[in-house]
Amino acid sequence: MPTIKPNPTAKHWDIFCTVVDNYGDIGVTWRLAKQLAAEYLLPVNLWVDDLHSFSHILPTLNPSLPQQTFNGVNIFQWNNPLDISYNAGQVVIEAFACELPEQVKTVIEQLHQCPQSQTPHWINLEYLSAEEWVEGCHGLPSTQMNGIKKWFYFPGFTHNTGGLICEKHILNDRIQWQANPNNKMALFADLGLHGIKVNDTVISVFSYETDALPALIHHWQTSATAIHALVPKGRSLTSLASVLNCDTQNLIPGQQFSLGNLTVHILPMTDQIGFDRLLWSADFNIVRGEDSFLRAQWAAKPFIWHIYPQEDDYHLVKLEAFMKIYCDNLPAEIATPWREVNLAFNQGDQNAIVSYWQQLNSVILPLQQHAINWPNNALNDADLASRLVQFVKNS
Amino acid sequence: MKTAHEIRPGNVIMLDGSPWVVQKTETTRSGRNAAIVKLKLKNLLLDSGTEQTFKGEDKLDDIILERLDCTYSYFADPMYVFMDEEYNQYDVEADNLGDAAAFIVDGMEDQCQVTFYNGKAISVELPVHIVREVIYTEPSARGDTSGKVMKPATITGGGTVTVADFVKVGDKIEIDTRTGEFKKRV
Repeated sequence: MPTIKPNPTAKHWDIFCTVVDNYGDIGVTWRLAKQLAAEYLLPVNLWVDDLHSFSHILPTLNPSLPQQTFNGVNIFQWNNPLDISYNAGQVVIEAFACELPEQVKTVIEQLHQCPQSQTPHWINLEYLSAEEWVEGCHGLPSTQMNGIKKWFYFPGFTHNTGGLICEKHILNDRIQWQANPNNKMALFADLGLHGIKVNDTVISVFSYETDALPALIHHWQTSATAIHALVPKGRSLTSLASVLNCDTQNLIPGQQFSLGNLTVHILPMTDQIGFDRLLWSADFNIVRGEDSFLRAQWAAKPFIWHIYPQEDDYHLVKLEAFMKIYCDNLPAEIATPWREVNLAFNQGDQNAIVSYWQQLNSVILPLQQHAINWPNNALNDADLASRLVQFVKNS
Repeated sequence: MKTAHEIRPGNVIMLDGSPWVVQKTETTRSGRNAAIVKLKLKNLLLDSGTEQTFKGEDKLDDIILERLDCTYSYFADPMYVFMDEEYNQYDVEADNLGDAAAFIVDGMEDQCQVTFYNGKAISVELPVHIVREVIYTEPSARGDTSGKVMKPATITGGGTVTVADFVKVGDKIEIDTRTGEFKKRV
């Protein structure tokens, strides 16, 4: 990897992230920080409150160090109160509406009161949603009690939103990777996954807990051809305790279970490049939250999205909004089973998931073609980082 | 001081040293259940408008202005005319009513609060709960009585409210004016 040298005249950006569920929030902010540093040569400081969780997706990170640099990004341990001095740069991003440290807010306020100084652009980077209201809220100011304007920045799937995180090179990298089946076989070997033949069906599973998963596992056992389910330790595996008949906490990466024509492999954790390649190498991906949800789309493979559950089943509204966009112009005979599979998985409906999975199998080839075409439609000519840099220039 | 989530159309808030009347509120949900509130605002000094977005728990400086209990009298385009108990009349611009305009109907007896700024009536707050008659809605499709299946209904005055599937034409329904949500059949 080439060394990234930030533009010495550029003022730095600070991104603050609180880790909520281990990989989601930090996954998104880490990708954004890397992209801003690599593609825009911006000096980026990433402040993270839980470096231990961060180290799961950046294994070379030392959680005991207060400051370290990877991929051109300065990573800081964010303790509360802040015990590292904060120097204001050009931009402060509070990722996913996390509350900035008081010290940072004080510095911003002091700069705001000083006519000669430039107050950093204060941006609240929100969660990704395909709902229509996002267009109406994206880019709006939010005047704070002290008169400072914060800006709401909403990722999204349309021209009038903040775009989607997608590195400039990633789609080409994926095409090259998928062009040669030796790449996936080498990856499986590197991950310690044995017994996978080149034409076997491989399904990666990275979901929250759901009753739909054991139902699918039972169904896959009866497949006419070999299926391999790749499951990391964590919440998906918790759902499979009764199927695997063991304490899933004690399982170790590389372990595998043969269940009829299905083999369940326990996956090791990988860094973000490794995770992308895993999604590129599988035939079908089950993903969750926000970061892996987007990466599954860039993988150009059919997928199920297990959305983060919300009160009053509001997550189903968000799921429907995305499915509406994803299925636009997709014939009903393809869209319907895909929508129903997603709905059944999110609702934990064991009968429906099996029934619609069978229907989905009969349209898997056109669905695959749709997945290949999808990334360019979703990006609308500009990814999140490029729109964000432009937004800062304009505001 | 109120949270953004508590702000209602008709409230006046101070932003950056200026008073702004809230014309419309729109609450949505971000990831992980967090509320996001979008406000349509009108500057009372400059007569200019803006839209802003807040986290639901953000604090906003609402200012207490003179208020009078009034009832709706009539509409003289583009002004809604309200009257207090001493028969004084006050004109309020239609724009300043925001979403509340959908619930203003001739003959309504709801006690409203007219807010004044520098002697001028600038906004109206309806009671939190009002009752209106449904003048059109499709018949119940599935015979659902749970209240979970919803459908659109037109109420007296022409506004549209999403109601439970069991609601019929002629029913009187209670509406929460803060959110425009159907509460129950009365």
